[in-house]
Amino acid sequence: MRPILLSGHERALTQVKYNPDGDLIFSVSKDHVVCAWFSHNGERFGTYHGHQGALWTVDVDPTSTLLATGGADNTMRLWEVNTGELLSTWDFPTAVKRVEFSPDGRQLLCVTEKRSGHLGTVVVFDINPDPKAQQSKEHTLRIVCEDSKATVAGFSYLAEFIIVCHEDGSISQYDAKTGEKLFNTQAHEEDMLITDLQWAPDRTYFITACKDKTSKIVAADSLEVLKTFVTDTPLNSAAITPVKDYVILGGGQAAMDVTTTSARQGKFEARFYHKIFQEEIGRVRGHFGPLNYVAVHPDGTGYCSGGEDGYVRVHHFDKPYFDFMYEVERERAQELSNL
Amino acid sequence: QDLAKKNTANRQVVEARRQMLKEWLEWRESMIRMLEEEGAEIELNNGKVHRDHDGEVQEIE
Repeated sequence: MRPILLSGHERALTQVKYNPDGDLIFSVSKDHVVCAWFSHNGERFGTYHGHQGALWTVDVDPTSTLLATGGADNTMRLWEVNTGELLSTWDFPTAVKRVEFSPDGRQLLCVTEKRSGHLGTVVVFDINPDPKAQQSKEHTLRIVCEDSKATVAGFSYLAEFIIVCHEDGSISQYDAKTGEKLFNTQAHEEDMLITDLQWAPDRTYFITACKDKTSKIVAADSLEVLKTFVTDTPLNSAAITPVKDYVILGGGQAAMDVTTTSARQGKFEARFYHKIFQEEIGRVRGHFGPLNYVAVHPDGTGYCSGGEDGYVRVHHFDKPYFDFMYEVERERAQELSNL
Repeated sequence: QDLAKKNTANRQVVEARRQMLKEWLEWRESMIRMLEEEGAEIELNNGKVHRDHDGEVQEIE
């Protein structure tokens, strides 16, 4: 099926997210505006106005009631999805680079930028899921990243751990209740910035994307690297697909390093790898600049990508995507059907 | 002889994949057991929260 192009943004996309039902896509961009779209036809559902700077991050709670955003205006904001009303604003001394709800939506974390005089932090707030409720301005936890700045972070299953990825290529695991650092591992090449962390549906493992041109699947409890996907380009984003055991990677060389021809031809590709066998199985072209974010429909029926070119491309998977199987997978399916 | 070598190589690749699949599925099973023991309802429901009105049909006239 032909992709749907969402062209409502005027500048580079920074993050795109499906809601848990998969009927909506939220997108944020350097143009200060948050957009919501119907995923099946690409019509705009609404916009959320109020931020005063580039937006870096967006997340929606598990009931699709509340939307969290963060950006270069040093604020994290909470919105009501259906009305577009701004419910709460939290101020920080530096930019907010990543926001994420806990699995039950009752906690919200944000990653703040490191800048002169301010270390990077991960700050956690309790959230009341009722949009009419007053939200607490006081954080429940604040993790200061003294060794290396945090770039992305998220809650594991049962909000047991907070996993933090760093600009030096390392990953840390914190106790999400006490903030105690439990573990740190140099999962990626040293001093290579980790650009993304996305969860498997049950949050027992996650995938990273890194400027070292690899993506890794890591266990949330042990921080053991289970899988590595090797590419030839710096990566900005990586997503795990449900239903099929694939991962989707997005990235690309920055504009100045690329020949104009390849940009003109829309050669920037989303790369599909087999999650278990770690082999590349396909590419999807289309963007005219690096892919800054890839997100997968929660039911595994499609994906969308947000590009440096200012477009969101929404893809619905065709039958061959679902039919494709390695020989050993077919064997396994046969065994199961014989049981 | 070349063909025989190629076949051996292919068999090794397939056997390696079979092993990877087996290990992955075993690890996944152990994780699901752990989530069940911990009562992780949302995680076992693919990250979706059960809502009170789920399953009810609303009639619109």
